[in-house]
Amino acid sequence: MKQNKIDFIKLLKGYKSGWIAISHDFRHVLFHGKNLKEAMKKAKNAKEKVYYFPAGESYSNFVG
Amino acid sequence: MIVPYSPLPDFRDKIILAPLIPVTFRNKNFEFSTFALVDSGASGAVISTVIAEALNIKWEKIPVTQGFSVGGSFRFHRFNSLRAIIYDNELMADHEFALNVSIIEAVSPYKCILGQKDLFQRAKITFEGYKSQLEITFREYN
Repeated sequence: MKQNKIDFIKLLKGYKSGWIAISHDFRHVLFHGKNLKEAMKKAKNAKEKVYYFPAGESYSNFVG
Repeated sequence: MIVPYSPLPDFRDKIILAPLIPVTFRNKNFEFSTFALVDSGASGAVISTVIAEALNIKWEKIPVTQGFSVGGSFRFHRFNSLRAIIYDNELMADHEFALNVSIIEAVSPYKCILGQKDLFQRAKITFEGYKSQLEITFREYN
């Protein structure tokens, strides 16, 4: 079974910095914070599991 | 399970595709869910200091170690009591395992990486770049 594609292009639209909190189905941004602490504070009372991801404008030029 | 590569924004190419998987880390009563880069070139798991703080890990109190990568050296702190949980949507079950993680003091677009000493010991990983996907087949344990 194939997992649904997680489209960060769509999710990160309008967010160039900070952290976003994403819904458990990976389709929506529920909260945004200028840093992880703020995003977690906003998501504290969320009724569903949230996934956090750093917002940025470019994810290339990474050499692991 | 088959995981499509995730499209991410990029200055130069507009879109890049990366093998990212959802993962939840647990440190005692603290949990943090994010997306990890699956990196066959990484010797082991890496998380950033901000994720360590979200998991209530006092990383500043752990002795610092110097690491090396292809790009040079970096500072990290070893933490050996973390657990990772990955949901397998094919089996509809969680895979949970202990892992040793390096808490890294560095700037990177990716704040979490899973590598050879952890995920690659627990599962067969097949990268299919031509299909923009990877396949993860977890080993069976009795």
